[in-house]
Amino acid sequence: MCDACGCQTHTHDHDHGHGHSQTHDDSVIVEINRSLFAANDAMARSNREHFDEERIVVLNLISSPGSGKTTLLEHTIDRIGSEIKIGVIEGDIETERDAERIRAKGVPAIQLTTGGACHLDASMIHRGFHQLQKEPGGNSIDLLVIENVGNLVCPATFDLGEHTRVVLVSVPEGPDKPAKYPKAFTSSQLFLITKTDLLPYFDFEVAEARKEALSLNPSLQVMDFSATTGEGFEVWLDYLRELVREEKGK
Amino acid sequence: MHEMSLVQGLLQQLRELASEHNTSRILKVTMVIGPLSGVVVDSFKFGFEVLTRQDELVQDAELEIVIPEVGYRCSACQNLQKTAGERPHQCAACGDTLLIAEEGNDLILQQVEME
Repeated sequence: MCDACGCQTHTHDHDHGHGHSQTHDDSVIVEINRSLFAANDAMARSNREHFDEERIVVLNLISSPGSGKTTLLEHTIDRIGSEIKIGVIEGDIETERDAERIRAKGVPAIQLTTGGACHLDASMIHRGFHQLQKEPGGNSIDLLVIENVGNLVCPATFDLGEHTRVVLVSVPEGPDKPAKYPKAFTSSQLFLITKTDLLPYFDFEVAEARKEALSLNPSLQVMDFSATTGEGFEVWLDYLRELVREEKGK
Repeated sequence: MHEMSLVQGLLQQLRELASEHNTSRILKVTMVIGPLSGVVVDSFKFGFEVLTRQDELVQDAELEIVIPEVGYRCSACQNLQKTAGERPHQCAACGDTLLIAEEGNDLILQQVEME
């Protein structure tokens, strides 16, 4: 049981039925066959159940540093903040800066600083969510957005209990990210190509990035837009509206 | 470098196992690292080497790593292609390019040998 809210946390579900066999030299071989991700996955499942009970849609944003995650959030809040109550958990190695940018928009936000760790994990989100609920407005949100630590590698391995994992690549980064960092794309449900207002200045073929990503993960949904100019942004906003509608109707 | 924190999780499990089995020395640890687990084998080995140095229980433990094959299922003809190497570009049976990976995602503590 979690101290903060009494929600179920399933962290003690491991199995004690190992097979034993004796070898020479008095050593014992024990068969374990347990995933090292098991503890995180159990916590992630418990987070997801908790989010469902509260009817909150949860997104996990993954990208390299500087691809526009925080800017995407700022523009999203400007456009639909009055119809959908948004809350944000920011992950960074150091500083409160991103959470301050979001709070300046009048939206509850907390900052998790990992102090050097390259990713967020499910237990950090569990604690972070309780902290967020204590913020003004944090107790009545429809959509929780988790902005992961800027890194296309490590965050892809850790389930946080999100409903949808979103991977972002901005135009200046180049279209070959899916081929170079496959796990971020195979584990996501949505791929956002951002900063498309810069397409005239960079050698970036949207069709190529799309094709590379879909060859790794045929079920991936792909959108491209510029949050700054608003071009193509409506598709993203409609997507969020639909997710919130679905979660409320569950 | 999330491998370091994964090795810390492994050491925690090993300590629990050791106290469960009443042993003070672990001789060998066998891990299965899926090629699609997002875990870099060399970084995992390095993390194991560094973190076991500080702990008597595992100081002399040998780390064995097993890398399983990944099965790629063709979304057109359902043919299953198994490989331990790079992701195939197309289906060997029908040539379709939409292949879906099955398994290969996990990181498993398979076996522990202890005194």
